[in-house]
Formats: sequence, C-alpha cells, structure tokens
Amino acid sequence: MTEYFGTTVADIFATMPKRFKPEEAKEVDIAIGYEATGEGGGKWKATIKHGTLKVETVEGELTGCKTTIHTDAETFVGVTLGKIAALDALSSQKLRVAGDPKFLMLLLPKIFTPYAAPAKKPDAVTARDIIATIAERFRPEKAEGVAMTIGYDLAGEGGGKWTIVIREGKCAVREGLADPLTVKMTMEAKTYAGMMVGTIEAVTAFTSGQVKIEGDMAAAGATAKYFLKYVVPGATEAEELISLRVINSIEQRFATGPVMGRWFAGIREKKFLANRCPKCGRTQIPPREICAWCRVRVHEFVEVGPKGVVTHFDIVYFASPDPLTGAVRDTPYATAYVVFDGATEREAITLDLKQEDIPRLKEGARVRPVWAEVTTGSYRDLIGVELDEEEGSI
Amino acid sequence: MKMHAKNRNVAIIGIGQTSLSSHKEDQNQAEMVHEAVRNALADAGLKIGDIDCIVHGNMELFEMQFAPDLWHSLGTGAYGKDEYRITTGGTTGATLVCAADNLVASGLYDTVLAIGMEKLQEGNTTGGITNMADPLWFRNLQTGALTGTTAQEIIDEFGEERAKRAAMRYRIMMDKHAMLNQRAHRRLGLEYSQMEDLMANSPPLVGELRLIHMCSQSDGACAMIFTSEEKVKQGTKNPPVWMRDHIQVHREETIPNLFGFNKPEVTHHLAARKLFARNGIQDPVAYFDVFEMYDPSAWWAVDWLREFFLLTGDEHLRMLEAGDFDMDGRIPINPSGGVIASNPIGATAMLRLAEAALQIRGDAGGHQIKKEVRHALASGFGGTFWSVLMILEKELNWQEVNHD
Repeated sequence: MTEYFGTTVADIFATMPKRFKPEEAKEVDIAIGYEATGEGGGKWKATIKHGTLKVETVEGELTGCKTTIHTDAETFVGVTLGKIAALDALSSQKLRVAGDPKFLMLLLPKIFTPYAAPAKKPDAVTARDIIATIAERFRPEKAEGVAMTIGYDLAGEGGGKWTIVIREGKCAVREGLADPLTVKMTMEAKTYAGMMVGTIEAVTAFTSGQVKIEGDMAAAGATAKYFLKYVVPGATEAEELISLRVINSIEQRFATGPVMGRWFAGIREKKFLANRCPKCGRTQIPPREICAWCRVRVHEFVEVGPKGVVTHFDIVYFASPDPLTGAVRDTPYATAYVVFDGATEREAITLDLKQEDIPRLKEGARVRPVWAEVTTGSYRDLIGVELDEEEGSI
Repeated sequence: MKMHAKNRNVAIIGIGQTSLSSHKEDQNQAEMVHEAVRNALADAGLKIGDIDCIVHGNMELFEMQFAPDLWHSLGTGAYGKDEYRITTGGTTGATLVCAADNLVASGLYDTVLAIGMEKLQEGNTTGGITNMADPLWFRNLQTGALTGTTAQEIIDEFGEERAKRAAMRYRIMMDKHAMLNQRAHRRLGLEYSQMEDLMANSPPLVGELRLIHMCSQSDGACAMIFTSEEKVKQGTKNPPVWMRDHIQVHREETIPNLFGFNKPEVTHHLAARKLFARNGIQDPVAYFDVFEMYDPSAWWAVDWLREFFLLTGDEHLRMLEAGDFDMDGRIPINPSGGVIASNPIGATAMLRLAEAALQIRGDAGGHQIKKEVRHALASGFGGTFWSVLMILEKELNWQEVNHD
C-alpha cells in the first residue's frame, strides 16, 4: 500500500472503529462516503447511526451517502494528519465535498479521536534506510579538519557494503569498501539498525562480539559526534508543545432603555413600533433615541408593517453556529432584508425567512411575520418572516 | 467640520512582520508579538529605549482575553512606557497606524511603535463578532462577515457570466501574488485555467460567495515605527516612507440601512472622494503606483475598486479584465496577496500599510513591483462599513494639503 506522510489511507479507515466515540454520536445519523484516488486510494463508506459505526470498503459507486468526500490519496492522508490545512485543500479543489463541508468539519472532530500515524517499528527500519540518511545528518561544524574513511560491512537482509568518506567538511557515501580504510566495522545489518535506533546498546554489541572493528578504534568511537542522531520516520522526537483548552460560558444581561423598551413592548403585542425623525422623517427600525443622520432627538413613535417587502436577501449554505445557542444551524437558511409597509425606504430590517419558502424567494417578495406562540418582549418573539402569497404579488 | 493640516511630517522608519499561518503553536501571543517588534526595531536600527510610546491593538473578543496588552508587554517592550490600546474590529490595524501618525504629528511623541496582532486559532471569531453585535436586537442574526449580497448586486448589474469571471479572475490574481510572498498564509498555486471549475464547484457559503472567494483566518503580528521629520533628518537606517494623509469614515448604526430600497454613498467612496479632493489628486489611478486594499472577499474587492478609485459604470471591470491590476499592470493591487491570502485581523489593516511602505522602499522581495513606486494607497475596513484610507509618499515634496 502506498504510503503518504508515513502512513496509508487504509490504516486511517482500519483505525476508525478504535477512534470512534459512541457517546458523542448518540444523536448522529449519517452515512459518509470517501473516495481517495491514485495509488493507495479506494472507496470507503462510514455509516454512523445512534452511537454505532460501520466502516466498509466499496467497489463501484458510492451510494446511500448523505455526504461524500472526493480527493487524492496523498491529500486525504495529509488533511487527516493535519499536514495539509483542510480549508486550503477545499479552496484549491484538491478536496471536494458533496454536501456541507463545514458540517463535517464540526462533526468529525467531535465523534472521532484524531488519527495519528503509527510510529514505524524500529525493526522495520533497515541498515540501508539508515545509511541513506547519513549525508543529510552530517554536521560539518563538528568535523572540521577531520579526514577519514569508514567502512561498513553489513551482512543479511537490508545490508551491504558502504564507505563513508569525511574530508574538508564534506561527507559522501559510496557503495563498496574502499582501500585503505581508517576503520572497518563488520556486523549483521540488523545489529547496525538496532544500534542506530537505540534498541541495541553499542558497547554491549561490541563486547559480546556482535561487532568487529578493524583499524583505528578511537576513530570508530568518534564517528557518532559527526552526525545528528538517526530518527525513525514517523516517530515523534519533536519538542512537546502544550496548548491549554478553556471553555468560557457567561450569562449576560443588557438594559434596553426607554426607547428600545418601547420596541420590545410593541413586539410583545406583535406590533412593530418605529420612531420618526422630526427632521428627515425616516422611520427608524428598531427605534433609536437619536437620528444619527440629523443628530436630533426622536420622540414620535409610529406603527409600521406588519407586512413588508424583501429588498435583498442572503441564502446561507455554510453551517455557521447559531449565535445564541452555539448549535449548528440547519442549512440552507435565508436572511432577508425587509422594508415594512409604512417605513421609509432605507429602513430595512434583517429577519430569518421560513426555510420552506427559500426556493420561492425573490427580491420584491411580500412577507409577513411569524411569531412565537408566547411573546415575552424579546427578540425571540419574532421567529422571522414567511412569504405572503395570498396577495399573489410574487 | 474643520480639518487641520499636519503639525509636522511623520515617516515610517521601521517595519516588522511575523510569518502568517493558520496556527502558531510554537509561540504564545507575547512571543509572537515580540518577533514582530524585534524585526521592526532591527529594520529601523533602533533599540526599545529609542521608542517613546507604544500603540497596541487586536480584537480582544476574538481571543476572549481581557487586557491582552498587559500580558503582551513581555513582547511589546511597553513596560514603563506610555501606551495606548486600540481595538476597532477589522480596522484595528489601520486605526493603530492613524493613532501613531497623529501622536507623532501632534508633537506629543517623537518615535512611536505601533503593534497589531491576532491569534485567531486561540479563540472564536464568530463568537467574538456575535458579542460585538447590538445585543438588544441584532445579536440573533449575526453570523460574522459572510455575505452574498454584493455578489448578487454585481451579477444584477453586469450579468452572471461577466460578474463571476471578474470575481474569480481577481481571486486567482491574488493567489498569484501570494505565491510570490514567502510570508503569506494561503498560497494555493491556482491557475487561470481553473476558473470555470472553481466558479462551478467551489463550495458555496452564502449565495454566490464561495469558499474560494473568502479571506483566511490567520495568526500573525505586524509592528511599525513612526517618527518625526526632525528625527529623520538625523539619519535613518532605511529610507523613510512618508505618511502624507489618512482619513477614517464611519457609518453609524445598523447594516440593514445599507439594504433598503436605495443605497447611501458607500463609505469607501466618501473616504476616497474627501481624501483625494483635499490632497489635490484628480486621477487616483494615474497618481498611485500601488494600492494595498483590505479585501475580505473577491466579490467585495471587485466592487470596492470602483468605489476607492471613484470609477463609474464598468470601468473597474474593464481594468480588471485588461490586467491593469496585475503585478505589472497600470496600478497593481495587493502584490502581497492581500487579506484573501492572510488575515490576522488586528494586524491585517496594518499589513496593508506595511506592504505599501515596503513597495516604496523597494524592499518587498519576491513580490516587489518592477517599476518604481513613489505614491502608494492603503485601506482598512471593519464592521458596519468603517473605511480607512491612507496615502504614502516616497518623497517629501507634495503640494500643501488643502483642508478648507
């Protein structure tokens, strides 16, 4: 299976059941399809239903999925591991989502623990792998004035014969054993690999005769300092970076004042009370103490609406959180700019439109308010607006 | 309203930025600020002891961190110095610059360090914006800066095909610029051949505003050092860049007032009209050599080019289509890649000015405009259409500002 970033697409799906958090998925009922193209790719389907998870590979078409994700295998692994930013992959179209991407981005971290690439088992690393990294691990600043040739004769699988030449602050690796050598080391390839990844102690290996050293013994002991330590790919040797998680929840209370207080008192009676500027005549909605255009006090209240006209609207496909509850909103939803009957031309107000009416929404549509069953004098009293089709004006 | 000419001239003599990315887990906020401050001081060849006053800004509600200037003083160097704190939403970075400009011009301080920062990954931007919305009525309707109304207006005015192509051309142009800027956050490697595909398939957010059109959320900081003409005469490490003039235009009250049956003059247009008139600039497209514009989305950018340059009809679209806004065009827009590429909010508007100043100095690196840059324009933008517009000059030789 082709590896990307040290792991495979298959491993990500194989570990899914282990990473699943049934407690968090009690309310979830969704089938997600995955198509990863290219080498190491394939199709998978994850069905999550009331705290259960079924992961299956799919041959042919992905069917019965609410949402499907299409990408190449490398991008899939990169995004899963956080090596590639999901939004960047989405923006550049390397990753496509049929359905709501934001919904998935909120859901998946909730119901799965993050995937981590398996650390490569030390015994999977061969001597050949390690020798291949020698030149990049070389530290010229530590090898100033050093001139030596080191021979390795490593027997068995993953072994071979190599000569490492250090001269004038440079390091080169050649196949075969040069003559003469400053020092020659002979051992099993897996002993060498074990010493380099730290599962076999060098002194013990030498003392027990697993390692044979010919030539300059002191030089053999000194070589380690000319190179950075070998790190197994995928192993985390990096500095630990700790982030602190904090969830703030605060209760707030805002005074409305006498003018907005009138508006809310009106809302409780299912009436829209604007106030009219004595200078420019505009009907401020909601009412405000001052007309900021004319900088004068505004005293006169007038009732407008309750029906009105949609001047502009936004249809939102992006599952943004409800600002009042933090819950993910059902998409699409629409916010309409409405000018109530009797209001002046710029006094629009933004209101949610009933979801079923979205397909028939047009600029210039007539709307009427939708009220809560019980009104208490709060913005929650006005649920939004719905199309007023009885008048046949759309 | 009476405006007074500047008491004395003010120059930018130091610019420092951090890299801009989706997360910076290897630095805390104070450390990130410190990186920008250190870079600005090194750029100016100054030490923190040379700074008389510090102006610090970010949107504290985005990180939900009270009085961040106190925590950040480890990085700002403000300990024992005069300090002002500014937090004005999207315009924070521009307001910081205007404040620093005024503090030096007034004669109150000789050398002022302005710092803008944001670590958006550490908080919740939508939560922050919600808490800034009118809590009495509009809070329940606020969901941040995503809107499709401008897209719809452009489509209504110029037709769907031309409008969509214009927005996507702008977007890909920005990415091409960002690819030249090593510090930019989002560098996607887009090609103009992807236009049709992106127009049809980029995930929709709101109306015709799609994911590809929208700006990023970034972590990063910017620091700039402002000083007086007298100080400049004593010698500077890098050539000074002069703050010729700036203007801020607010729109009061509520956003829906923009969406009734007819539209008031857009704040960008009002800002540009007043600023150019009082500086005797007849033809801004001809006068300026670069414009670093605060472009939160490709749709807004296309629309706002017309407002800022006082263009009419489809002039802005024709210019865009002809490549006039490209790196090698008549008036290059955002050689840095703009806000669409990198958006650490409290620093975002300041980065516009910093990038414009680097263009004048010729120090922008990979995204330096080939022709000489003598006159630069930069803008800031924030909630309820707050607009800030700033003029930078290479030479101290402009006509006396007419403030009558």
